[in-house]
Amino acid sequence: MSPTEEDFELEMRNLPGVLNVEIRYREGHVGDMGNVVDAVTLIVQGQDAEVIRVMAKQIASLYFPEASVVVEDASSALAPRGVHVVRVALKGAHFIADDGTCEVELHYEGRIGVGRAGSGQLFGGAEATLVALRNLGFNIPFYLLSVVNVATARGWPVVVTLRPFADGDDVFGIAQAEGDVTSSAMATLNALNRFLSMAKSPDFSNE
Amino acid sequence: MTSIYDGASDDAGTQRLATPSWLFQFMHDEMSVRELGIGSIYSVLELLAQRYSLKDVVVTLERENFCPQIFRLGGKALSVDLVARLGHSPGVFCSPDVVPASELDAVRITCQIALSLHMAHFSAAHDSLTKIANRRTFDAALAAACARSARYDWGFTLLITDLNGFKAINDSLGHGAGDDLLRQFAFAMQRSVREGDLAARLGGDEFAVILNNAGGNEATSFTDRLRCYLGEASQLIDFTVGTATSRRDSNEPNELLAIADHRLLEKKGRNGR
Repeated sequence: MSPTEEDFELEMRNLPGVLNVEIRYREGHVGDMGNVVDAVTLIVQGQDAEVIRVMAKQIASLYFPEASVVVEDASSALAPRGVHVVRVALKGAHFIADDGTCEVELHYEGRIGVGRAGSGQLFGGAEATLVALRNLGFNIPFYLLSVVNVATARGWPVVVTLRPFADGDDVFGIAQAEGDVTSSAMATLNALNRFLSMAKSPDFSNE
Repeated sequence: MTSIYDGASDDAGTQRLATPSWLFQFMHDEMSVRELGIGSIYSVLELLAQRYSLKDVVVTLERENFCPQIFRLGGKALSVDLVARLGHSPGVFCSPDVVPASELDAVRITCQIALSLHMAHFSAAHDSLTKIANRRTFDAALAAACARSARYDWGFTLLITDLNGFKAINDSLGHGAGDDLLRQFAFAMQRSVREGDLAARLGGDEFAVILNNAGGNEATSFTDRLRCYLGEASQLIDFTVGTATSRRDSNEPNELLAIADHRLLEKKGRNGR
């Protein structure tokens, strides 16, 4: 990438609302000195796309007069930010008697995250779930505060309490399933349900 | 696995940031030949992709008072959907997701530094209103042109231009309209210069051009091109030019500037502008 191309891209990125710039070169060459820029595509948010296109075309005429300019408006796609629903599925949770650890397997959009932890079946199941989530790429800003069995008329559900690293309220989850490890894992996901529904997807492998 | 943390802690227990060796080597190599900039961001993404056999990498960077900036491996296009999914939080996203978080942090910070440095260099060298070169860049370019001229016996022409009746336009139509005129004039100047020449705003409505390896004919051609582009932009703008040519008039930057300025004022006085 030549200094001229770098400055050109910076000037494009300095336009209001521009999030991303793609520069296409003639004959498919990218970044070699002397190449002719064929087209520039900008992704813009919160601005009038036509106004930005005119401004971008003006700048382009100084650097690469023959380049065409395309502007894509991301405003509508970005509007529902923060409500992307993340569905994490619990595929398995079990206790490994050989080394006394719990193993939890989670699936998320075709990917598998596995977590292991010791500390008994209740704590181990919850800890292993947090590890599995982090292995899937989620940033989970909570630590495990407590895991307890509660006596009810219909059995012994597990209650998990997670505390945020920063300021904020504790989150609780409750679940009852076959075995403590599974209950603990389900309760942990239950506690994080709201957080995960607000989390951004870390995956873009389908692009 | 290389870590960005060297394991040492300060008194508060905070871990110190250390750069992975490959990234440190890249920055060392890059900075020994050029300034870090947008090109460096793409190079870092390329290196990361090679190192971990990644199909794709995207980094989102923060910028004060600007939108977040998203860069993709190879400068490839991003779909609007992907932009929406990545959101606005700074970070590095890889496919497959196999890079340790600590290394991603180091990559993001390096890219952030490269973008900030590019911005800083660009801002330091360009006029904030018109985006053409500023006085600082012009002074350096004029000194370099004089040195080249003395050493290689190359002539160059310095033009100083000034908008006619700019104060009256500013007063009657407002400062916003005045700023628009300055931008249009600078834009026309930038279009009129040849590759390798420099157009700069010295301050107010005064601009300068260094026409390398050029004499009177090239200066006239430049002025004609400028009038032509200005005509396309606005009928409100007219300008006066003062010129000085290296070696013939002087080979000292300040003297050349003073001669061109004097000729400009003479013409303006003669024309009553």
